[in-house]
Amino acid sequence: MQEQAASRVLVCIQCGKCTGGCPESGRTPFNIRMLMRKRQFKYAIEEALPWYCTACNTCTLRCPRDVKPSEVVIEIRSSMVENGDIPVTIQKALESTFVQKNPWGKPRSKRGDWAEKLDFKVPHISETEHKRLLFSCCIHAYDPRCMVIPVNVATILNKAGYEFGILGEEECCCGNEIRRIGELGLFEELMEENKANFEEYGVKEIIALSPHCMNTMKNEYGDMGIKVMHYTEVLSNLIKEGALKTERPLKGGIIYHDPCFLGKQNKVFVEPRDILKSLNNVEVREFARSRETSLCCEGGGGRMFFDVEVPYQRNGEIRVADAQKAGADTIATACPFCLMNLEDPAKEKGLFVKDISEILMEVI
Amino acid sequence: MDIIVLTKRVPVTQEEELKIAPDGTSVDLSRVPFRMNDWDNYAVEEAVRLCEKQGGVITGVSIGDMESDEVLRRAIAMGAKDGCLIESQGVVNDPFTRALLLKGFIEKENLSFNMIFGGVQAEDDQFGVTCGILAAMLGLPFASMVIGIDEIQNDAIILRRELEGGIQERIKIKMPCVLSIQSGINEPRYVSIMGIRKASKVERKYFKADKYLDGGAGSLIDVIRWFYPPKKEGAVILQGELEDTCKQLLGILKEKGVLQ
Amino acid sequence: MSYTLIISEVRRGVFEERNLDSLGLAHMLKKPVYMLLPDGQYPVNERWSDVLIKTDIKEELFTAPKNICLLLDKVIERFSMPDVIILTHSSSGTECASYIAGYFKLPVITDVNGMDKDAKTFYKSYYSDKVYGEFAVPGQGPVVITVRSGAFRGSIEERTHASKEETIVGVFLDSDRAFIEFVEEEKTEIDITKAEFLVSVGRGVGNKDELPAYDELTGVLNATLSCSRPVVDKLWLPKARQVGQSGKTVRPKVYLAMGISGAFQHIAGMKDSECIIAVNKDPEAPIFQYAHYGIVGDMNKVRDKLKELLKG
Repeated sequence: MQEQAASRVLVCIQCGKCTGGCPESGRTPFNIRMLMRKRQFKYAIEEALPWYCTACNTCTLRCPRDVKPSEVVIEIRSSMVENGDIPVTIQKALESTFVQKNPWGKPRSKRGDWAEKLDFKVPHISETEHKRLLFSCCIHAYDPRCMVIPVNVATILNKAGYEFGILGEEECCCGNEIRRIGELGLFEELMEENKANFEEYGVKEIIALSPHCMNTMKNEYGDMGIKVMHYTEVLSNLIKEGALKTERPLKGGIIYHDPCFLGKQNKVFVEPRDILKSLNNVEVREFARSRETSLCCEGGGGRMFFDVEVPYQRNGEIRVADAQKAGADTIATACPFCLMNLEDPAKEKGLFVKDISEILMEVI
Repeated sequence: MDIIVLTKRVPVTQEEELKIAPDGTSVDLSRVPFRMNDWDNYAVEEAVRLCEKQGGVITGVSIGDMESDEVLRRAIAMGAKDGCLIESQGVVNDPFTRALLLKGFIEKENLSFNMIFGGVQAEDDQFGVTCGILAAMLGLPFASMVIGIDEIQNDAIILRRELEGGIQERIKIKMPCVLSIQSGINEPRYVSIMGIRKASKVERKYFKADKYLDGGAGSLIDVIRWFYPPKKEGAVILQGELEDTCKQLLGILKEKGVLQ
Repeated sequence: MSYTLIISEVRRGVFEERNLDSLGLAHMLKKPVYMLLPDGQYPVNERWSDVLIKTDIKEELFTAPKNICLLLDKVIERFSMPDVIILTHSSSGTECASYIAGYFKLPVITDVNGMDKDAKTFYKSYYSDKVYGEFAVPGQGPVVITVRSGAFRGSIEERTHASKEETIVGVFLDSDRAFIEFVEEEKTEIDITKAEFLVSVGRGVGNKDELPAYDELTGVLNATLSCSRPVVDKLWLPKARQVGQSGKTVRPKVYLAMGISGAFQHIAGMKDSECIIAVNKDPEAPIFQYAHYGIVGDMNKVRDKLKELLKG
């Protein structure tokens, strides 16, 4: 994959379509087109620059020459990683992932603790009949705000009679962010460990709670013969089949924010919206920038661990202002990073940010 | 400039709730991951930077079981030439015994060096004395808490030691010498997985610890029991009107010694 | 003769407060207390020890590891080997303790914060205070100890008589290690990691105009102002003041978090503070889970009231 990116950068015609869609270019010192230029001519690259990229993949989707700028960014970062010269906060995240198998440095032994909050027992995947694995993701396992999401989804699946299991502390980071940070050796190690577990327990289906996990397991783990889905896909089906009923009415206007790794990168646009539309009494609104052109929350590509030195108005704030203009009082999303990045500015404006699972919990 | 760097493999316990066995004789570390002691990481980095400038070779030395090979691989990935593991039976709790082992090893195996580096302390026992004991046993000058190396002269080194309250002392110390390195002296490089894989191909040397104790001194101190420290109280919400709560707050600040 | 020897620490002409913990432990050991002092003009309470051993060695040479051993040779020659040698658990205290242990082949236990009632075993923290180990010294011989600051000062009992004075001079000092000078650490910009008392403001501050009043508050409290990420994002305070995963990791004695909800990334940067006090109007704010004390209320009102009380 690296070599492919290296060869493609030479065919860049500097048309600037990448920059046009980039959530960072023009507002921060980062400029994806200029970065490609520098790479073409092997000019020195300022060391902070590559870390601005949020790995939203818009550039790659827009590029008419298939240069895959987002892969070139990974290649640049990768050589910095191999030289050992990377921002200290990124370094901490990588070292924590190496030791504890999650970038937050939390104990691996507590990875399955979220399941103790349930009023029923979730079986280990090995004890299930259908071998459907609920893959929790690091942030859901440890962050107190995000921990409600696995709890919610598990509760909803249980209610719908959809059998599933978990790996508990055997689960390790999916590596999606790690690969984008450029630590390809560590990514491989994480992937191998997860794949070995999937194989040992005969996993047939993976229900990923984070679009980031879904993305890498679906597109970068190679052919595992396992169906990988985001939880909104599963729940949308269950609603359609009538296994899950959304009964209680909700008030207010909800607007849906497409996570980059779910929407533009994996084309899951319809299912989350279907879930929201199934709710009684709810008006589902749309951002002007939605679906393929959804504005990135700036949580991907290692940005959860790297703060840029240059201050600027964060996309989260823009997004909240846009939601307010559209008359919504709740922003619904389906990704923990989006949730984290939108919630703080939303609170300030009196808006709510909810994961789709949180909204569903209110109505079933 | 040949440097021996002492490295230790330690459990990563910052976020763990540690369990002590009911009889108090052991702490359960079975589910805790391990890594190179953070202070040693700075020591290796400082040695690598010095040798990159001055030339010379770095030898990583560790006491422990075979698992400790992991920290030697890491030291090699950072720039050490080779690694030596002194294989011990069980954990050596007494820093005196550790120093005695290291002295025996360095002398019997004829390791040549201009300096011996170690971290200021280990994350697990936080004794912070192994380097100093070793220096005294070898009859070498010693400085701890080294936070900056300012100049290398022919037979001496000028360095800064960290003291308390934002003060450092600059000293001149003759070589060969032993230095314990404080965290923050540098920014240790990131060691990638590919780097560690490459380092694994460099052969490490393994030695049995019993050879170096001369049948002499066992531990001078023994841990006879582990116990939990007194529990911290949970969050106390200060009650009352604004004025009351603020007065209580000022009281707490005084009690903690940050307000006169 | 049976006695406890304290090696005192004097820094830039000041008898350090942490010596009180050495004295406290020595008093608990119930043996005559001898205290070794470097040259200099500084007051020491004469009722704290039985014997003060004065030397002509300047403080910066007194705390060099080899010198202290050479001096101890003389002390032992004059008074016999002490039962216990106590130093502070500080940079130089620990440095000297380790060298003494190697030089005289003595057991050493550092960062001691407790002792059993028979004074036979010592407690020491392990794994960043998660567990304590109880250490016995089987050999019955002398032991070298460094004491944790704050652990024993409450046990000081003043003597009824003033201490006797002894003097040791003419120790031949070590030439392998020479003191050059004291240096102040470079301060390029504000370093919040060095502050003992941080007042940290978060998004709850509302708007930029409220900030000067926090500057005033930290002024009267003699505290340092820090903040969470949103405050830096808005350009209200510089990046150097940011606490959190992507900012600085701090461990002050007191961390007063005002208007900070306690996002995961922020907590990562301050959770190891000795005492965390949170002020937030939301009683459900996660910060309260990590705080030792909390006030549920408007941060700006709390600020103004604190200023009023401090001025009044």
